[in-house]
Amino acid sequence: MKYLAISVTAVLTALFSGPAFADDETIAVFTKNQTNPYFQAVRVGTETAAKALGVKVIQYVPTKPDSIPEQLSQVEDVIVKKPNAIVFIPVDYKALVPAVEKINAAGIPVTNITDRSAGGNFVAFVGADDYSIGLSVARRLLKAIGGKGNVIILEGVKGSLTSTNRVRGFNDAMKENPDVKLLASQPANFQRLNALQVMENLMQSFPSIDGVLAANDPMAVGAIEALEGANRKALVIGINGSKEAVELIKSGKLLASGDFNGFIQGCIGTEIAVRNLHKQPTPKEVMLKPIVIDKTNFTPYEMPVEQRACPTLEQIVSN
Amino acid sequence: MSTRGFSLAALPVARVPGVAIVLVVLCAGFGVTSPGFATPANIANILTQSTILLLLALPMTVIIMTEGLDLSIGAVLTFASIVLAVTVIATGSPTLAFLAALGVGLCFGLGNGVLIAVFDIPPFITTLGTLGIAQGLSLLVTDGQSVVGIPRSIEQIYSGTAAGIPFPIIIAALAYFITHALLYHTRFGTYVFALGGNREALRVAGISVRGMLIRVYVFGGLMAGFAALLMTARLNSAHPTAGIGMEFDAIAAVAVGGTSFERGNGWLLGTLLGVIAVGVLRNGLNLLAVPSSVQVACIGALVIVALFIDGMRAER
Amino acid sequence: MNTAARTAVRSRFTLSRDVMQAFYRLLGVVLLCAILATLSDVFLTTNNILNVLRQSALLFLMASGLTLVILTAGLDLSIGANVALSACLAASVIKITGSPLLGMATGIGCGAVIGLANGILVTALRIPSFIATYGMMWMLTGVTYYYMAGETIHGFPPEFRQLGSGYLLGVPMPVYVMVLFLLIGGLFAQRTVWGQQIYAIGANPVTARLSGVPVERRLVLVYAVSGAMAGLASLIILARINSAQGDIGEDLTLPAIAAVLVGGTSLFGGSGTVAGTLIGALILTLVLNAMNLLQINSSWQPLVTGVIVLLAVWIDTRARRIGE
Repeated sequence: MKYLAISVTAVLTALFSGPAFADDETIAVFTKNQTNPYFQAVRVGTETAAKALGVKVIQYVPTKPDSIPEQLSQVEDVIVKKPNAIVFIPVDYKALVPAVEKINAAGIPVTNITDRSAGGNFVAFVGADDYSIGLSVARRLLKAIGGKGNVIILEGVKGSLTSTNRVRGFNDAMKENPDVKLLASQPANFQRLNALQVMENLMQSFPSIDGVLAANDPMAVGAIEALEGANRKALVIGINGSKEAVELIKSGKLLASGDFNGFIQGCIGTEIAVRNLHKQPTPKEVMLKPIVIDKTNFTPYEMPVEQRACPTLEQIVSN
Repeated sequence: MSTRGFSLAALPVARVPGVAIVLVVLCAGFGVTSPGFATPANIANILTQSTILLLLALPMTVIIMTEGLDLSIGAVLTFASIVLAVTVIATGSPTLAFLAALGVGLCFGLGNGVLIAVFDIPPFITTLGTLGIAQGLSLLVTDGQSVVGIPRSIEQIYSGTAAGIPFPIIIAALAYFITHALLYHTRFGTYVFALGGNREALRVAGISVRGMLIRVYVFGGLMAGFAALLMTARLNSAHPTAGIGMEFDAIAAVAVGGTSFERGNGWLLGTLLGVIAVGVLRNGLNLLAVPSSVQVACIGALVIVALFIDGMRAER
Repeated sequence: MNTAARTAVRSRFTLSRDVMQAFYRLLGVVLLCAILATLSDVFLTTNNILNVLRQSALLFLMASGLTLVILTAGLDLSIGANVALSACLAASVIKITGSPLLGMATGIGCGAVIGLANGILVTALRIPSFIATYGMMWMLTGVTYYYMAGETIHGFPPEFRQLGSGYLLGVPMPVYVMVLFLLIGGLFAQRTVWGQQIYAIGANPVTARLSGVPVERRLVLVYAVSGAMAGLASLIILARINSAQGDIGEDLTLPAIAAVLVGGTSLFGGSGTVAGTLIGALILTLVLNAMNLLQINSSWQPLVTGVIVLLAVWIDTRARRIGE
């Protein structure tokens, strides 16, 4: 019984001693899940920017990865809490429109980053163009294989905006190279284990593969491991510019990764939200330039996101 | 530990179920620490958020009382929601769309019931299989995309109010009372209790066990169809992953509410309290801005603590 | 004849029937392969068969420990979350110490401790296994998310990766691990007193207790073994994908349960074999392999898997009925 009392006390203390709110401005940040390093980079970006701007950020992440009803519930709960502003990545760009409308109705200014919401009013949108990143990183690979050969595409979660646009970019790059043959285009749900197994299976059907276009870095990693396991060689590209991708580029296993920079999107999204609060002018839309990270330019990306400083809005816009 | 410490032994807990204790502790705790928690707006918010889960947890209670299980209920909800959205967009008739959603629920409930009662496939496996089928159909129909463009009249079902009370709460309350009446005041209910505890007695009394089992799963399917209406109205769209994993949330709520998996002892009010406890926990933790990873662990702890308290009570 | 002897006789009877059923199921696999071979000409190549075996190893390792749990009429919903946490901890240890052995000990140890905790929840606290392990799943996931904080751990020593991607005599290493544990699991369940006691507990816990089986201790053992096997599976994943991420175990629990059930183990306990589970794992892996080879739209995957689970178990139920 005493043990129970102790544990109950411990649980209660743990439960109810959450961070107290200071009186300064708070910004609620919504990301999709706790597992994908991309969203961690976004969160670090928002926190770095917040520290520099003297505001407080609170992170809201669904406990079940990418859960639509849960993100909607979290939005409803946050509206009760009334933060000064919201930085928002919708779990699904169409299904979360009612959530955005609720935020609008509550009069909380909201900045949309990464995935463009299909509806609702936003202070601004900050993102990178998945299509042009897909296009430029695929061009990089197709050039490296000499504009001819056999290629496989690993798609992300079916129907997700990110996957659809990146794959569209891949396909348009393929059209520019009529001598390149697309062997297969299969989804591996943005996950490395899925990508590994899909790739292993596809290698059975296709004895000669020259290139793999993966719609994110974890799938590129899975493909690389599958190729190594079968002792086969093919050039692989990914997208996101994650830490492990940069390591792999350095060691020559990955040809290139499209820079879909969550850190900068988090920084700029937060900066715009704060500027808007302070009645300073803000752009309606900020699109990061598509950058391909490869052997020639990976050095700045080696620095962990936690140690990076946020670029300012001016730096990004003037680029 | 000092004897002056808080001790449950001092409280007359012997007859109080675990879920009630947990709920009171949570409400008191959040009420003290979070200023926004105990406001009418937030309480309405919690209750509204809990309605969809309750619509699944009610039939789940009945199904678990028959020593069964329905793992497909979340996927059926999802598919019904997609069919509802597609139908309303195609025909413009919300009534027809709602009937279509109920039809989907009915088909899957009937399928589950027949496979379980007639083909003798255990409920866990049957519904694991139909979960896959419903999920696959959802993906095939939508190709992974959200279905949008639903008329605003459907959204009203979730956001509207009557006499200041949100519609979803009224619908959920109705569903609760209907289930309560079915379970405690009809012959159907009596048979459900017997299906769990004393199947042989039913046979002796000349009642078709198969027919009763099928009815129980059809009830589950129909409620999933109802829940699909609320889900579609809530999202103002349908999405092929919207209801994934809700079956486990529902089962957990039923278990937290004190319904036993083995003896067929069900407690409908407990299920209601269990659903609200989960809603209160999530809402309170969000208001306190507790990191999401800690929230995940807290949900697990809630489930185990509630059952632990129940287990202790049973031992006395 | 005393109760223990009767239990033993009953178990042996169950065993032979189970072995016959495993044989029928094997026939089913052969038939499935024959059909798939006519659809895809690369299907029956040595390479692809080794590929399928390697992929099924992961599922089998998780499902084999789970088989023992299900034999006692229990369930372990936490194995996927267990795999994730064990993998992440093992990955950290390998990265920090540079020692694959320490990392492997961590992975299996972590898995076993989690299993032990499940066993204690189920026996000492008398929480139904379904709910206890469901709660455990959430808690483990929370700890994993907290620990990983959205990061990945990447790049392990080549000698460790041999475990997942290496070959010995042309056969992938995971296949050896799978065969090893098939033998250990099979012998343990069928040929040891403890194994027979597990069957007895599943068939009827009251009778088992009366005939002197230490039910609680065996149950704790079973959950600990299931946890340890999840820990082992986590090492195979790590070695195969050369990286760890918090969502690594997601979507692995239900397929593992499905493999056990398709393999003919009854959820009511007391009947089933580890060999059957291997066949279950093979069937599920074959289906996904064939869908990739034939390039079928992946949206069909859950539907086809669902139908196969239903069909397999229905045929099983029919066969059992006829057998009696």
